[in-house]
Parts: sequence; structure tokens; C-alpha cells
Amino acid sequence: MASTTFTDTRWIARGEERTSLPQFLLWLAPWAVVLALGVYAAGLCLYYGLNQTNMDNRFAFGLWIFLDLGIIALGAGAFFTGFLVYILKRAELQPILNTAVVVGFICYSGAVAILMVDVGQPLRAWFTFWHPNTHSMLTEVTFCISCYLLVLCLEYVPILLRNRQLRKLPSFLVFEHQLHKLVPVLAGVGTLLSFFHQGSLGGLYGVLRGRPFAFREGFLIWPSTFFLFILSAIASGPSFLMLVTAAVEKVTRRRLVPPELFQRLGFISGVLLAIYIAAKSIDTLIWLNFTSPSVGFAPWQYYNYKPFGLPILFAEIVLFGLLPAFLLTYRRSAKRRGLLLSAAALACVGILLNRFVLTVQTLALPTLAFDEFLHYTPSWQEVASFGGVIGYGVIGYSLSYRYLPLFANPKGDDPHVSGD
Amino acid sequence: MNARYGMVIDLDRCTGCGACMVACASENNVPSIPQATPRTGLTPMLVRRVSNEMEGSARREVFIPITCMHCERETPCVSVCPQQAVEVDKATGIVMQMPQRCLGCRYCMTACPYHARYFNWWDPAWPAGMEKSLNPGVAVRMRGVVEKCNMCHARLHSAKAKAAAAGRREIDPADYVPACAEACPTAAIRFGNLADQNDPVSQEAHSPDAFRFLTRLGTEPKLYYKSKEAWVRALAESTSANAEVKHG
Amino acid sequence: MKVTRRDLLLWGAAGAAGLAITPVPWKLLDDVSIWSQNWPWIPQPTHGPVEVKQSFCTLCPNGCGMRVRMAAGWPVGIAGVASHPITRGALCPLGYGAHQLNWHPQRLRTVRHRTNSSSWEEARAAFAKACGEGPIAIIDGYPGRAASSVFESFAQKRGSYRAVLGPEMQALSPYEMWSGVPAAGLGYDLENAQTVVSFGAPLLDGWGTPGRFTRLWAERAAGSTDPQLRLIQVEPSFSGTAPSRTATRAWQWVPIHAGAEAALAAGLARVLLDEHLVSVSARGPMPPITLAEAADETGLSIGAIADLARTMVARPPVLVIANDGNPAIAALNVVLGAAGAPGGIVRRAKHTESYASAAADIGSARAVLIDSTVPWNFAPPTNAEVFRFAAWDGGSCTADWLLPAPGFLEELTDVPTSPASAIATYAVAPTLLKAPPGVQSAAQFLFLSGIDPTLMPVEKIIHARCADLFRERAGTLQGQDTTPVAKFASVQKLEEQLWKGAVWIGEPPRSAAFRCALKEWPATARSAQSMSSSSMNWSKAWRAPVLPPLASKLYQESSLREAPEGRNA
Repeated sequence: MASTTFTDTRWIARGEERTSLPQFLLWLAPWAVVLALGVYAAGLCLYYGLNQTNMDNRFAFGLWIFLDLGIIALGAGAFFTGFLVYILKRAELQPILNTAVVVGFICYSGAVAILMVDVGQPLRAWFTFWHPNTHSMLTEVTFCISCYLLVLCLEYVPILLRNRQLRKLPSFLVFEHQLHKLVPVLAGVGTLLSFFHQGSLGGLYGVLRGRPFAFREGFLIWPSTFFLFILSAIASGPSFLMLVTAAVEKVTRRRLVPPELFQRLGFISGVLLAIYIAAKSIDTLIWLNFTSPSVGFAPWQYYNYKPFGLPILFAEIVLFGLLPAFLLTYRRSAKRRGLLLSAAALACVGILLNRFVLTVQTLALPTLAFDEFLHYTPSWQEVASFGGVIGYGVIGYSLSYRYLPLFANPKGDDPHVSGD
Repeated sequence: MNARYGMVIDLDRCTGCGACMVACASENNVPSIPQATPRTGLTPMLVRRVSNEMEGSARREVFIPITCMHCERETPCVSVCPQQAVEVDKATGIVMQMPQRCLGCRYCMTACPYHARYFNWWDPAWPAGMEKSLNPGVAVRMRGVVEKCNMCHARLHSAKAKAAAAGRREIDPADYVPACAEACPTAAIRFGNLADQNDPVSQEAHSPDAFRFLTRLGTEPKLYYKSKEAWVRALAESTSANAEVKHG
Repeated sequence: MKVTRRDLLLWGAAGAAGLAITPVPWKLLDDVSIWSQNWPWIPQPTHGPVEVKQSFCTLCPNGCGMRVRMAAGWPVGIAGVASHPITRGALCPLGYGAHQLNWHPQRLRTVRHRTNSSSWEEARAAFAKACGEGPIAIIDGYPGRAASSVFESFAQKRGSYRAVLGPEMQALSPYEMWSGVPAAGLGYDLENAQTVVSFGAPLLDGWGTPGRFTRLWAERAAGSTDPQLRLIQVEPSFSGTAPSRTATRAWQWVPIHAGAEAALAAGLARVLLDEHLVSVSARGPMPPITLAEAADETGLSIGAIADLARTMVARPPVLVIANDGNPAIAALNVVLGAAGAPGGIVRRAKHTESYASAAADIGSARAVLIDSTVPWNFAPPTNAEVFRFAAWDGGSCTADWLLPAPGFLEELTDVPTSPASAIATYAVAPTLLKAPPGVQSAAQFLFLSGIDPTLMPVEKIIHARCADLFRERAGTLQGQDTTPVAKFASVQKLEEQLWKGAVWIGEPPRSAAFRCALKEWPATARSAQSMSSSSMNWSKAWRAPVLPPLASKLYQESSLREAPEGRNA
């Protein structure tokens, strides 16, 4: 007999089984501690200033920027899945759509939260909207990420409103219906915005003519990194979604989506990854043979510093690029769940490695002839703040999973259609 | 006629005393930061010490004062600032930083190949009463913003005010000398208008011993350096003659 | 009337649109931006009338000319004086931050007796008691001032007067011994030298007046492979420590073993005499050392020593500069004929006095009075009661009495000739800032104690000196223009210029003004100073007990310099 007082079953969709509330709270507890620690660390940075971090005048961007770029790339599954489902009409990805929105929302809101701590004067963040610089990639990123976060909120609200209790309010039900009509439009807008901001995040580095390691030539005003970032984001997004779904299935011990969906996601991810690696290889060759020497920097200057040698380039392209691309697309390996998930993980790590290389290695490398190669280790405040985002993400997703119908009813009924 | 203010720094004359660094900090109300390290310090003018890496009597050193180069072409920091807190002043060629608008995103710091930009990691603080020694012409910055050399712009203002009071349109060049150039005991740092062909600095910039750093990046810096020693001139581009691997 | 949802929406939208065309949201945004740009806890500069006053830095005996920019009566900026005949506009790097010293957290404002707070009355009483019980030793860090003559008058009757001499003056003491001319009357004629051989003296960074040699070197030597002024630096090389700036920027650096300076000087003298490289009339005594011994001790080869000797005389006049009182190096100058010749050691003043060095034994003094100009780390080895004057507490003080003296630009003083100068100069540094209550200089203390009623106040002595200058009608006054003293109509006019920052310059030195009689090569011990790896530079030459706060830019916020040891910044 379930205890009638300490329970929240009325918030859980009818017909859905969820673990007991005390069990759930136990699951949340460690993540709440991580979140609390993160909030404390971020609070220290906001109160005392950025001297709480180990960033300095040579490492102006550090762990936070690297992880921000990383989670925005991984959260690209949100817009891409929407694009595939609503624009390209790939209905087989429908079951994963809600998860994609929630994951995207968490990734973007977490990234924006960290960015507010990362800047020296957060209260002036709105100046970018007031005095935008049309030449700056960062202006573009600010506008598009802000707008896209708004889009994600609008996409998340309908899911939120499908909560059992919230649905009881007729105005919410009507609102949710209206919003539902908007979703294809939102998907289209989201795709456009994401195309630009994912690209501009790459553009951030590609335009740095002062950093030949990152500087690329490209097409019109966009350096090649613009397009490479878009490709890598849409390649890693589906993989990340696959990993999240697999993790949720493991934790809840339920089958939430048709098994073929994993392979489909993997296949999409693998193909895009292969295209990305091909583009990146061409780009790297052009950069090493033409772009970089033309500004006076020889390739050996980048790879002569331990531990950042050629092995990192090899790892990016082969170990975390070609290999997972192959494993994800090759049917026989894709059939095996373990191999599929490992390949997805490798793909995600590869994209993270790429963001790391561009953020951290760029700044470590000398530019002036008498510069030294520098080292940087993040402080505990930086690590804890980011841990806080992960805690926030797990808690946010757990709450969404528990109280909202993220996945279609395993019997096949669309929970959107059922009664209360 | 628009000026192009720049400098010629004679590296043969610089003894690395550091007077320019202290004079710059004094003029620009830069606080002394007890907790700072060489990587987090605020040194809008910074003298770098470079040796030819030889041993014994063959060892030579050069001291290189590095500050904002006031790049003229596709100025890296100007194009990347998301809120136009940096701009190139067309009338003077000075790259102006507006700390009041700066958000502290530090994108400009990653863009600058000369590492000439510094972030206020701490709130500025002076011991009790010492704020009376602050230069009234220069705004004190707060923490969380980027700052850099602005060619002692307050001195340009004073020179203009002085000229206006005397009914002149053009300033007297002797009235506008940045703190670093004024402080240098060997006259190694020379400041002038590169657009004025009669200005000795403009002429020196064209001497065969003059060079600029990282010109191949295409930033067109307005700080010229000069040395008769070939190993010093070889430091201009990124690949030093000695291809040793250096670890930071 | 029923308010429907539609009404709400309509009114809401209309309201929002209406608000947007009022100034309200835009003004609020503007206010928020201004608010976020001006945090109230950020210190603001004082605003007030700005004027530029001229004075002289008195933190060390070089007495550099200084322009001080003042806003509302407070110093807000420091610059050099381009018309100053010696400094030519230069200051030492730390001088540019000196205007902040008076607010240094370690500024002394109250009398301290050992660890307790005390008062001037008690200090005066203790000092009077000490005077009654035995001799007083007075230590002066900046000899030649009007205040110094107060100390000397007092010490004449009641004890002994000693001066702390910097390396520039210490290096002149052998010539004093051999010629009878006091070291304070000698100088280095760098302006006329064409070859300068420095034995460890940091000529480019912390020796003599900041702008003097560096400017000469910059104009005549920098960058040239065949310079008009050849700088040869003899300096030991220590592994793990960077050589000095003088060594790595010199025309030639001669790295020798630590402590072998005397041996090298002797070896060079031997070559010069053996090979008849010096004129017969200038010949000095033969050093009792063989070239092989010199080579052995210095670590140079015999050929290298011989080459160096030949190079030294290749472009005369040649001047050898030591960084301490090592007589062997002075003897080398005698051999070279540089003692008492243009471009060498010259006599710059007719009447001067000889100072007893503070490094010598204090003897049986009952009490020691240490002036605020004495370097902080100078502690006389004595059990006597120590009355230490200082404007700042440099930490780890062993004095019995710590007495707060006037700080930077807070007292009227005069500026005698700087230690290494080849010409005599005189200037007056007026007070630019009001000293805080409760501070007193050592000279004032002696005068006010009434113990010696014949003492004159410093101001009176300065006026008397100006009157002497006027009466002698010698030299010129360099201010806005250069005016011979003879042209001044009255002593008041002369004083007016001096108070405005003009510098009196004496006659150029006469070459045959002094002669050294040296029969035998002096016996020397190994030079103690160069045994340590810490070389002199401006940071070590800084005399005040504390560093200016902005010194952190050089030591801590950059790696331009190593932090000076034993400094409580």
C-alpha cells in the first residue's frame, strides 16, 4: 500500500509508472548537492570577482567557454531533430522530440547561466543589444542564442503544460493547443537561428587573425570554422540524444523508444560525422599548407609543445572522428547496442575535443617570437560551477521525465490525445 | 588633417629600467594589486626581457616595451567587441577602449596577438587617503572590464584645451607626450604623428633598422621598433631564429 | 461591466505599445546603464585646480629635478625636468610612483619607544638624558645638506658625525687617501670619457643619477658596433641568476670569477705597464702579481687579459669605475692616468670636507641618532640607545626609538651635488605638501631640544648658503634660461629662482686639480660584494624604507625584475 500523504502521484500522468517519491528524492539528492556547490562557487565568482578563477590575461577564455561551446554543440540535437521531424518530415524521430527539446533547453539555459558568471560585468550584458557591432561574431552569437533560448522556452512550454495537473486548467489546455500549431514555425525559426549561432561560435575563432592557430579563410565573411562547427554540432547532437535516452532507459529500467530509433540516430550522426571529418580534413590541409604559412606561422610551431602534439590532431580526426563515423553507419556494428553507444560517446568526445583545442590550445600557443607556451588549470570554483550546470541538467531532466510525458506511451498511444 | 599617432621604440637604447611602466600606471590610475601575478597583473605598458640565449660573454639581452600597437588595418580587437566598446578614433588613429561599456567578455583579449590587453580581475583599491593621488583626467575603472593603453588620451584632451584657450586649432606637439615617452630616461620611446612627414618619428619609422611585430598578420601596427642588432630584428616575426621548443 | 480576456489582451498590448513611445522605458534603460557604469565603491580622483610645481626628489642623494602635478593641493603625477643639467629629465623608475608614498600603510605618524606608543616629549627627555651621559653618534644618509651641517655642528661638541656613503662615493675613498682631496670633492667625468670600464658597477641601472650615464650611453653607444662611448662591464657570472642589464647591454661583458676584481685590475695594470701602453708620466706602481696568477684567479686566459688591456686604451680617455672602495681598481685608474685628468676622476669643488664613514666602528657612543635619509637596512652594531628617524616603517626595526619624520616633499631642504657628478651643483627643494601633525625631522629635533643653543634652523642655513653663492659670483643658474650668477641683482632674486626649481651649476672641473701619490700597489682582500649573486640595480639603490606601491608593476605584476630581498614593500 502506497503512503497516501507523502506522494505526488497526482502530478504524474495517468497510466505512467514512476518510482516512489522518497526514492526519487534520494536520486535527486546528490545532484542537488552538486548543484548547491555550483551555485556557491558561482556566487563566489559573482561576489569577489573573476579572480576566483584561474583564468588570466593570457588565458582569457578557460574551462567555462570550452564547456559552453561543448554543451551548445551537444544540445544541437534539439533544433536538428525538430528540423528533421517538421521540415524534412522524418516521422520516425518523433518519439525523441520531447527529450530533444528538454535536453536543448537545459543545455542552452545552463550555458547562458555560466556565461552570466563568466563575464566581468553581467549587468551590462544587455549592452550588446543596445550597441551591437555588426562585424563581431559574438554579437551574432548573443542575438541568436538569446532568441533561440526564447524559442526553446516556447517549445518547452507545451510539454510543460501537458503535466496532468496543469492540463486541468482549460486556458492552459487551449494555450497548449495553440502553441502546438506554432511548433513547425518554431522548428523552422529554431533551425535558422541555430544554423547561425552554431556557425558563429565557430566563427568566433576563425576570424581571429591574431591567432593563426585558429584563423581560417572561408566563404565571404564566414571562415571555414563557421561551417565546420555547424556540421560537427548536427553530427554530435543526435549522438548525444542517443546517449541521454540510453541513460534514462538504464536508470528507469524501461524501454522508452523503439530500438530502431537508436540505430537511426546513430546512422544520421555517423553520416554527418563522416561529412564533417572530410570537410575538416580538407580544411586542415588548406590551413597547414596555405593559410597559416601565409601569415608567417609554420605548422611545426603548433605541434611542438608537449602534450599538445600531432597526436591530438590524429585523435580528433581518426580516433574520435573516422572511427565512430564508421561504427555508427556500418550496419553490423550499429546493431550492437554497446558498440553503438560507445561510438556515440566517441563522437561526442571528438566534438568536445575540437572545442577544447580551439579554446584552450589557441591561447596556450605563442604568437610573438619571445612568447612562451603557457599552461592553465581551472580552479575549483570553475569546475564546481560547471558541475552545478550538470546537476541542474540532471535534476531538470529528472523532473521533466517524472512529471511530463516525454516519451510516447509504450503501447503506442500518443499521450497528447488521452483525456486528463 | 587626421593624425596617425604612433611610436618608434629604439630597442638599442632601452635598458629595461621600467620607468615607462610605473609612469604609465601612475598617469592612468592603474592600481597596484597585491594579489596579482605576472599573468594577472595590470600593466598597460609592459617591458619584456628577451635574451639571445647564448652563454657567457656572448649573451645579450634586449628589453622590449610592449603596449597596444594601435593597429590600423582590420584592428583585431575592434572587429570582435560585441558592444562596440573599442573603436578606432579616425582623427588620431588611437584605438580607444571604453571601460564603461565593456562587458568583460574578454573576446578582445583572445584576439590581440600582442597580448596588450589586461583584465581587471580585482576591484581597484588604494590604501586610505591614497585616492587623493589619482590623476583627475582619467576615469578609474571597475573590476570585470578590460583596459589597455589609450596613448594617454587625457593628455591629448589637455593639449586641445590649451590650444583652444590660445585660439589655435592645432595642438602644440610638445604639449601631447604620453607618460611612457616622457618618462623614458634614454629617449628610447619616441612618440609622434606618423601622418606628418616632417615629424622625426615618422621619418624614423621608415629607417632600414625599423620593424614592427607580426606584420604578416596584416594588422598594420603603429608602434615601430628599431635596432641595429640583427638578432633583435629577427624577433619581429613569430619564428625565432632559434627553433628550440620552449615550455611555459 | 465584465472584463473579458479579450479586453485584458487588448489593453495589455495597447499599454505596452503606448509605454514604448514614452520616455519611460528608454530612460530606465539609460539609468540602468549609467548605474552599472559607476559603482559607488570605486574611488574617484580629486577634482580641483591643477598646477605644476617644481621641486627635487630628496629620497636619495642624487636629488633629481622633479615636476609635480598637483590637483587641489595633492600630488597626482610626477615627471622629470628636461632642463636639469645632470638628470636631463630622467628619474629612477620607482620615482614615478613616489607621490603615493605619503599614504603608504606603513607611514609613521606617532613616536614609538620599542613596542609602545610614546611622545615627542618623552623622546626629547630621553635624548637629553643620553646627551648628558655620553657621546652621541649621528648617522646621516645624505651628507652635504643644510640639515647635515646641523648634525655636524651638534656632533662637533657632543660626539661624532658619520655619513652613509653609497658605492659611488665609496669608490672614491682610495683617491682621498692618496691625494688628500676629500672624496666629496671628487667626481667622475663621464661626459668626456670614451672608454668606461666598470667593475661590477650597475652603470645602466642603479648607479649615479638616473639619467646621466644612461643618456650618454644611449646617445653615443647604443646599438653601435663601433661606439663613441665604449662600455666594458666586468661582472661575475652566476648560474641561475641573470646577469645585470649593464652586462648584457654593454659593448663588452667580461665575466670573471666572483671576488676576482682586484686580481683582474692588477693583471691589467701589469699588461699596461709591461707593454708600455700608458704614458710614462702617468705611470703608477707595478702590481705584485703575474699574469698567470691573474688569469688563474679571474678565470680568463692570459691572452684575454692582455687583449682587454689593449682594448681599454685603444680609445682614450678611459675611466675605470669600481662598485666599492676596492683600492686595486682605483690603482688601475692611477696607472691609466685617469686620476686627475679629463674623462677620468676629477676634482669638482675647491672646499669640501671628508666624511667619516658610517660603516666604521661607532665606538663608545651613548646614543646613536639615525637620520631618515639613512637606508633602512643600515643598523649600526651597537648596544647604544638608537633614535631612528623615518617617515615609513620598513619593518623589523631594532631601534629603541622610532621617530616619525617628514615624508615626500614635506620639508624644505637643499640639494647638494650628487655623489658621482663631475660638476658642483646646488638647488633648493621647497615644501610642496603640508606635513601631517606630529612629524619632525632629526635636524628640527636637535634644534628644538635646546641642548645646543648655537644650532641654526635649516631654513636659515639654506639662506646663508644662497647668500654665499651670490657673494662668490661664480657659476650659472639653470632654470627656464641659463643666467650667470654674476648677473643677479640681489640674493632675493637668486633665491626666487632657486625656489622655483633652478639649479646652480659650478665651474667645470680643472684637470690639474689633484694628483695621486701612489708608491706601492695596494694590498687588497677579495671583493666581498661581488661574492653574492645579488647585483645592484635601481631597486636596491632605492633608499626609502618602503617601495612605492606602483613598484609592484615591476616585481610582482610582471617578471621584469626580481623582488628586492629584505623589503617589506
